[in-house]
Amino acid sequence: MDIKIIKENCMGCEACVSSCPFGAISMEDGIAVISDACTYCGSCVDSCPAEAIELTKDEVIHKDISSYKGIWVFAEQNEGHLRSVALELLAEAQKLAADLKTDITAVLIGADVSKLAPQLIAHGADKVLLADEPFLKDFNDEVYTEVMVDAANKYRPDIILMGATTNGRSFAPRVAASLKTGLTADCTVLRVNTETGLLEQTRPAFGGNLMATIICPYHRPQMATVRPKVFKPLPTDEKRSGEIIRLHTKAPQKLRLRKLSNINAAAEGISLADADIIVAAGRGIGSAKNMHLVEELASLLGGAVGSSRPLVDTGWIPYKHQVGQTGKTVGPKLYIACGISGAIQHLAGMSSAETIVAINSDPEAPIFQIAHYALIGDCTEILPELIAQVKAIKAQNN
Amino acid sequence: MRIIVCVKQVPSTNEVNMDPVTNTIIREGIESVLNPFDTYAVEEAIRIKSALGGSIATISMGIPTVEEILRDTLALGADEGLLLTDRAFAGADTLATAYTLANGVKKLAPFDLIICGKQATDGDTAQVGPSLAVQLDIPHATDISHIESIDEKKIVCRRLTDDGYELLEMDLPALITVVKEINIPRLPSIAGIRASKKASIKKVGVNDLTVDESRLGLKGSPTQVVKTFIPSHDVDCEIITGKPEQQAATLVQRLTEKNLLDF
Amino acid sequence: MDETVKAMTTEFEEYLRDESRVVGEAQSISFPKSEEDVLEVVSLMRKSKNPITIQGARTGLAASAVPNGGHIMNMGKMNKILGARFDEKENKFYLRLQPGVLLSQLRKILLNKNFETEGWSNESKSALANFAPGQWFFSPDPTETSASIGGMISCNASGARTFFYGPTRNYISSMRIVLANGSVAELTRGGQKAKGKIFSLDTLDLHRIISNLPDYQMPNVKNASGYFVREDMDLIDFFIGAEGSLGIITEIEVILLPSPKAIWGITSFFPNEKTALRFVRALRGEKVEGADIFNKKPVAIEFFNHYALDLLRKQKEESTAFAGIQELKDSYHTAVYTEFHGDSDQELWEVVAKLGTLIGQLGADENNTWVANNDRDMEKLLSFRHAVPESVNMLIDQRRKSDPTLTKLGTDMAVPDAYLDKVMDMYNSDLALKGLEFVIFGHIGNNHVHVNILPRNAEDYKTGKELYLQWSRQVVDWGGTVSAEHGVGKLKRAFLLEMYKEYGIGQMRELKRLFDPQGMINAGNMFTFN
Repeated sequence: MDIKIIKENCMGCEACVSSCPFGAISMEDGIAVISDACTYCGSCVDSCPAEAIELTKDEVIHKDISSYKGIWVFAEQNEGHLRSVALELLAEAQKLAADLKTDITAVLIGADVSKLAPQLIAHGADKVLLADEPFLKDFNDEVYTEVMVDAANKYRPDIILMGATTNGRSFAPRVAASLKTGLTADCTVLRVNTETGLLEQTRPAFGGNLMATIICPYHRPQMATVRPKVFKPLPTDEKRSGEIIRLHTKAPQKLRLRKLSNINAAAEGISLADADIIVAAGRGIGSAKNMHLVEELASLLGGAVGSSRPLVDTGWIPYKHQVGQTGKTVGPKLYIACGISGAIQHLAGMSSAETIVAINSDPEAPIFQIAHYALIGDCTEILPELIAQVKAIKAQNN
Repeated sequence: MRIIVCVKQVPSTNEVNMDPVTNTIIREGIESVLNPFDTYAVEEAIRIKSALGGSIATISMGIPTVEEILRDTLALGADEGLLLTDRAFAGADTLATAYTLANGVKKLAPFDLIICGKQATDGDTAQVGPSLAVQLDIPHATDISHIESIDEKKIVCRRLTDDGYELLEMDLPALITVVKEINIPRLPSIAGIRASKKASIKKVGVNDLTVDESRLGLKGSPTQVVKTFIPSHDVDCEIITGKPEQQAATLVQRLTEKNLLDF
Repeated sequence: MDETVKAMTTEFEEYLRDESRVVGEAQSISFPKSEEDVLEVVSLMRKSKNPITIQGARTGLAASAVPNGGHIMNMGKMNKILGARFDEKENKFYLRLQPGVLLSQLRKILLNKNFETEGWSNESKSALANFAPGQWFFSPDPTETSASIGGMISCNASGARTFFYGPTRNYISSMRIVLANGSVAELTRGGQKAKGKIFSLDTLDLHRIISNLPDYQMPNVKNASGYFVREDMDLIDFFIGAEGSLGIITEIEVILLPSPKAIWGITSFFPNEKTALRFVRALRGEKVEGADIFNKKPVAIEFFNHYALDLLRKQKEESTAFAGIQELKDSYHTAVYTEFHGDSDQELWEVVAKLGTLIGQLGADENNTWVANNDRDMEKLLSFRHAVPESVNMLIDQRRKSDPTLTKLGTDMAVPDAYLDKVMDMYNSDLALKGLEFVIFGHIGNNHVHVNILPRNAEDYKTGKELYLQWSRQVVDWGGTVSAEHGVGKLKRAFLLEMYKEYGIGQMRELKRLFDPQGMINAGNMFTFN
């Protein structure tokens, strides 16, 4: 593995310097020099107009992967209900399966969940691998990993897709590491390259400033996680038929991780992930004591409360309300951003909302670039008005 | 208690400016800092050590200057730092990174608990923690918001889930990744910085490890980046003007027209 | 009235008040976009004999921008940056801007270089070649960043970093001013100066104002009260800190300094106030018993007394607003924040190491310090500093719920260096004697701390006001000032009178009469015109 500058070719144009995402290239005496920070990503090679950068990859002997076939979707369930992300993934899998001319298998793990299998088939699964045992009732990283890894080794899928839910983001890397294969997290676009047959997985990098497309050419299965609400589920087709295959699993002798109990937040309102309406606060809310405006509007609209990162860091609202790259990704029908400037990391978490309303006193705030409705003004003045008007309409209707 | 904290150096801000003409990043004098989630991990380790005694080792993989980040963790209260640094490690994806870290951790063994931040703000994958746990064959739990109790045998902790929280118990040794709710990270004191200046950070390269070299760096990375591009947003925006009262009225009208307000 | 001058309607209600919460009255308002607009309005008002109150962003605390009838001229629409200049020899960068530019707006542009250069001269555009994002900074740092530059000039604003860098006055190189008679003066620092005690000011239309300088003495402390007067002074200084009462600023050239390459902030906690004050004196380079001389001048020295920390502890428990603030150990009695700017982290570590040694020599513990040497951690220390006045506001808001007449009482007094211990002693013992609840925090480097009395009832409030008057007399006696940074406005006229006595105020009136014979502009700020 080596990278070098062909000095005779280098024109000193410095195109490579700015192309490097890691700042590893500088100029010395008009010739490019690559430092130890280089990660061999190859961005500079593409950028050089003089073909002065040579990246040589070592010959690697790869195992035969041609026998891996089929797209798997992990059908995450909770308390006997399928998480909607599983259905969203099945919808996307249908497109990929058509391109690859292959079939779709849903992997369903839990206790007393066989009744969910027909739903998976109606949503597009051709097969359902079912592991249904009492000891599988609660999600457990180690136990579920064993089930998934055994099944993958036996049936050899080409692709495994999982929802990037809290559990999914813990489970997928454990499975991928056990199978010694590649995993791309939080994909926003999945596409089959019909020439190479590879799954192209696109995800945000550098806080959402840049999109990166990633492939896993020599290892199988190709694994990807996708955040909820990025894809949309398709209508069901009750007439579809599919095969249900029971996986044989044995109860683990010893559990190193044990779930003791659920401590679900006491009626704190709808969770961000499920909300159709989100009212979110940013620094423009001014101070902690104004947070009640956001909470009140959310409550009146039957929505959830969200927040940008600075408010969480300052302690005005708990982390679980944080929307953004390092918080939750949401895709509600309506997102009302109050005093949020629209830093790219925040946008990465909510730009797929169907309708975006932005209230901000700075007309140059980046959030206005993705908003459908822009209200330039002080949110602490506009929110009380919104609240009053919504209350009036509700009173009228009752 | 022997605690190991995995830390990463990241650019201080993701406010990376993009040059729309060349489709590339403009990197002008951006600071490098300790990954914010890792500051919570380091803080939690220090709190556990204050309560139960023991030692904390911090470990990172990166270029030689990452030594400074490890030194910063010593200023906060960690006892030793280990930097995995070698050209052979470069270009690693999360699998190869976890493999390399696992081998570095073995040099710090035995240990009771590994603490990682939930994710790094440059990659944001949140994959290295769980992957590392597999390589070390220990159980792991992500998104930990509170440690209820810990002793030599097991840890009981609260995990932030999509639906609320759950209470978990794990046999040690184990690995946890932590979220911001867990604590308020401290700042170093003058005394802490003074002590850290005298400490030496251990540097470990490929020759100091017994590893399968085909699993390191770019070679050991199943995933590769084939393309990067700047995302674009094209949205039709209506600017709603007037005094707050008028703005509110117009907005409510628009949203009602679109059937978004359900009452 | 034409387009430029609008009748006062409920639409403009908010313009009747500023941050002092005093509400005034006015009959008309204008939002000029250029010097021509200003001249037009001034001419109209002169003809109709309407007084004018000039407003920036209305963030002032002394009611300087609150109108007393007549016309409001709000400079908010004059918010463009007009040009740039680079002085290679001095290594300084200059920006020409309109008075309505906000400090936050200026800071943002200095970081992202998003200048709108349409209409700029070629020289200005080429000056930008010497400007990289973040390379230059504007040093005056009042806490309220939504203040306008014009407003900052009018009250000679300062902040924590003024201890080292000096106030706004030091960063103005030239200004254009419209006078009440419609003349325009263009003044440059070093350009027009007084000759001894006589001055002669020429306007662009060759109008000349000649007189003697007032002969009162300004206090030798950080000051924002009364007209600046000094032998051989730059005439531009008349208009800085004049609270808009001598003319209307229409254009400003500000001075930018190279941004420091490294910034470290340290919050140190002491077991008692006495040790903290010895620390402060040592930081100023004084010889303190038992300690070595400390010879690097800090950029800022800020103080938080015992009760301020206690209030923070209490508010932290009761509200999530301060959940991000780190735990204050029980042993942390008094806190002092210091900041250093330098060329490298290595250089600043050596300074901070000496600071730690000094702390030890004074009998405190260098373990009880919080050190920030990157942006993120500096933000944390800044949040902590802002949390103190915020927690005061929160407490007062809570108390107003049961008694709406209560407001906080804050001082803005500063004394010369030699009186630091005396003034702290005076505050502490007088307040203890009267049994009042209070916190003290602020720019102790300049002996300028804000004593905030937290009244529990109307009687506390009354006692507090009496104490302030008492203190103001003592402070003036010691050669100090009653308004070190907030300005006099309309609220502290009585205090200004204390400072300069009838004679001095009389001289200020005379000076104003020279520039504004009818008392048309901002009459009522600092002193009554008649």
